[in-house]
Amino acid sequence: MTRLQRVLCIAPLAALLYGQQFKFHLEGLAAKASNAVDVSLGSGTLKFAARFLDSSDPDEAAVKKMINGLDGIYIKTFEFKRDGMWSESDLEDIRAQLRTPEWERIVGYKSTEEGENDEIWMRTENKKVSGVAIICSAPKRLTVVNIAGAVDLDALAELGGHFGVPALEKAPGKKAP
Amino acid sequence: MDWLEQELREALNRKDPAPDFAERVRWNLRVQEHRPAHGLQFWLATAAAFVIVAGAGGMGYRQHQGEVARQQVMQAFRIAGSNLNHIQAQVREVRR
Amino acid sequence: MRAHQSMVFSLAYHFLHDRESAEEVAQEVFLSLHRNLGAIQSPAHAGFWLRKVTVQRAFDEGRRRKRRPQVALEDIVEPAASVERGDPLLGETLRRLVATLADAPRMVMILRYQEDLDPMEIAELLDMPVATVKSHLQRSLALLRGKLERRGLGER
Repeated sequence: MTRLQRVLCIAPLAALLYGQQFKFHLEGLAAKASNAVDVSLGSGTLKFAARFLDSSDPDEAAVKKMINGLDGIYIKTFEFKRDGMWSESDLEDIRAQLRTPEWERIVGYKSTEEGENDEIWMRTENKKVSGVAIICSAPKRLTVVNIAGAVDLDALAELGGHFGVPALEKAPGKKAP
Repeated sequence: MDWLEQELREALNRKDPAPDFAERVRWNLRVQEHRPAHGLQFWLATAAAFVIVAGAGGMGYRQHQGEVARQQVMQAFRIAGSNLNHIQAQVREVRR
Repeated sequence: MRAHQSMVFSLAYHFLHDRESAEEVAQEVFLSLHRNLGAIQSPAHAGFWLRKVTVQRAFDEGRRRKRRPQVALEDIVEPAASVERGDPLLGETLRRLVATLADAPRMVMILRYQEDLDPMEIAELLDMPVATVKSHLQRSLALLRGKLERRGLGER
């Protein structure tokens, strides 16, 4: 029995995907996954949520700032019990949609030892960032993210480094844990 | 330190968990903290909350919707951010 | 914070040699940390606390797994020959050999070479005499050296 929480997150308002910049076509994987997260937040929901973000909380303040100029954020993430429950062909449809002039792969990381393959794609229009696609894959997990709009990648990565547990400094004279 | 110990150091260097590990810890923490009480008291409290929300002329419901949207947005940004952070860390490690 | 995550996860991963089990152990450790935040006195204490609890949980999970059928190490498929980063073959071989050690010496080796702890620190963490820690280190290294030589993987 898995101890991991099964999470399904569905947009509370109409599931309009006008802002989404490419189709995921990963519905078939949900039935095979032990955990799945599905997020579809259009610009209306983002702007609505921004009013309820707490500006005195550093994380929420950072998100509030990032929401300006975004058209939507769309995420599918899956965890699987065993290897082999998804394959590269599941991602081929997404990659085909990213092989257009507006999209460029800016980062690629691959580790055959760990079976990990990660990519960051950027969309530009009139020389300005208009979207980001992130694909993170490993034998037992798969995450695809599309953020539509003017994305601040540095701020987003910085947010990813906060984990809600008190920051602890190095103890003097010892290797930091 | 001889060659074997050097190799062991490299072989046993630290690895990262999955990119959304932290997000799952946070989620499980929330579940742990907000696990509802069971029994009559829970159902009475739930019924009372429903009455309060329904009787607030819609304002309470809007607040509730806003809170739900806030949580979903934060979760979305954390998942995206942690995956991005993970990729950048892997690339930095390769470049070292 | 990322360093704490890596430390906890890696201790569990190198001991159990299973990513999923290691993530579950790591989740439990951080949830436990949250419940016991009031008892943490300093950052150094937090590091010690995290290591100690991770070691205990890893041992517990290891004992639970022994009661279940395990895949023999010989049956595990060898990693692919072509790799994108460095040469992990020796590293992977070493990780597998470390995984064949008994629980106590295996954890001693991981704390020594992953965490760079000295024998006194390992002894305190594992509640074990220093002489026993040193003995585990010496014997484990001798064992690994012998196994590597038999595979034709000697000093480079």
